[in-house]
Amino acid sequence: MRHGSGWWLLAPALLLLLAAFVLPVGLMVPMSVRPYVPLVGITDGFTVRYYTRLLTDSYYLEIIGRTLALGFTVTLSTLLIGYPVAFFLARTRSRWRNWLTILIVFPLMLNLVVRTFGWIALLAQNGLVNQALHALGLVDSPVKLLFNFAGLLIAMTHIFLPFMVLVLIGAIQNIPRDVEDAARVLGASWGSTFCRVTLPLSAPGILSGSILVFVLSISALVTPRLLGGPTYQVMSTLIFDEFLQRLNWPAGSAQALLLTIMVLTLVYLSGRLARRTGAGA
Amino acid sequence: MTAVRLRAWLLRVWVALVFGFLMLPVVVIALASFSRTSYLTVPPRGLTLRWFTAVLGDAEYLQAIGFSLLLALVATVGALGTGVAASFALIRRRVPGGALVSALLNAPLVFPAVVVGVALLQFYAMVHLNGTFVGLALAHMVITVPYVVRAVTASLQGIDPELEHAARVLGASGPVAFFTVTLPLIRPGVAAGALFAFIVSFDNVPVSIFLLGSGQMTLPVKIFTAIEYGVDPSIAAISTLLIVLTGVGLAVAERWIGFHRFV
Repeated sequence: MRHGSGWWLLAPALLLLLAAFVLPVGLMVPMSVRPYVPLVGITDGFTVRYYTRLLTDSYYLEIIGRTLALGFTVTLSTLLIGYPVAFFLARTRSRWRNWLTILIVFPLMLNLVVRTFGWIALLAQNGLVNQALHALGLVDSPVKLLFNFAGLLIAMTHIFLPFMVLVLIGAIQNIPRDVEDAARVLGASWGSTFCRVTLPLSAPGILSGSILVFVLSISALVTPRLLGGPTYQVMSTLIFDEFLQRLNWPAGSAQALLLTIMVLTLVYLSGRLARRTGAGA
Repeated sequence: MTAVRLRAWLLRVWVALVFGFLMLPVVVIALASFSRTSYLTVPPRGLTLRWFTAVLGDAEYLQAIGFSLLLALVATVGALGTGVAASFALIRRRVPGGALVSALLNAPLVFPAVVVGVALLQFYAMVHLNGTFVGLALAHMVITVPYVVRAVTASLQGIDPELEHAARVLGASGPVAFFTVTLPLIRPGVAAGALFAFIVSFDNVPVSIFLLGSGQMTLPVKIFTAIEYGVDPSIAAISTLLIVLTGVGLAVAERWIGFHRFV
């Protein structure tokens, strides 16, 4: 009886996810191998041309490479910027600690379009960043920060930084202070205690935070679209155009499935890695 | 100054700089929304509230706000109903394959939202749900359920199952024991899950943009398309309103349920 009631309680959620998530994503597989004929539409037949094109054509390879490069640099910059902040928030005894954590959560809860809009105002030709650079005498003419890699890197670092910090706070809080104190008592300097005790013990958090940020940044649509425009494409904006502008659903499905495979592979591998090192990610 | 104090001081400076970086776009938008100029400029020139009155008098914006609120409300109620039941089953009942079910329930958290959007665009075209409110609401439930499950399971793990057993022993039926004992105890988790679900639905672009029918428009998709046409201070004004509402909502949630524990 106890088993039965468990399934009844799970049924609505499971049904929802199977019908409106698993099945629709699964149906993209047959769609991705149907030929699309311009002016005619999606026809019956079988083709793998959208996959071969995606993996051989230099136009698509450049977009895939750019997406991965962006994901990698965003992950690295959020890690470097966020680690000290997470360390501070995990260790501080300030009575403002909970409110400081909420201040990290605030941008996360704020509408993504609004945050991206803020970066448009900041990074434009006559935006605040260029005004500041000019006032400081660092540049003579405005620096181009929109529709290129630099602008996307800055804005996406801002957007994904809270995720990294929140994951790292959890990981650093889990490190017993005794272990660090022991290292110090045994004569280790602050630097070597940090590098040989604190940092390795927070590795599970670094791994799961990095995977999360990487996966979210290679899937991001809104920020790359608004800051990159229709010309500076990443994988998700390519999928967006394929479905809504070119109406080539088979090609779009192949691209969407490639992005999905990349994401799922990473999540799976990080799970394996976390289990092997004996730490929960 | 000793090395210890220097390190502590440097860390504080770094933390302050990063908080400044996090708040920078927020401050910039808020300032730009008061500018008298018809183009976006920071710092603002002059001071006016006309962009706020313009936005709040615009029928398209008001309709989009209403539609987004309704959609978020329906999605949140649906996600709560399915999510709380599922969390309870996962924590309190022995379900075979529980780990797999749990992974499935959390999958939309890391799954590319744009893929969910295009997959549903295709699927709804096949089953004739395209452009319907039902289709949109189901899609929003899919992306919000994981947040409810995460907050509610965390809450359930923190309370003693013996309390519910005691109620059962004293003669309460399963549902009565759940609604009078367990549910009040996990209320903060349910509230946090509901807040997450509401915000995630209200903010969504990458799923909604593929599924909106003619005559349907959500607020974030409206702002998204407005920005693609060109930026002006009225977008900053509606953004400022969202900033204030989000800030107030978050502060209330922190005072009320200690929201930071659920992130």
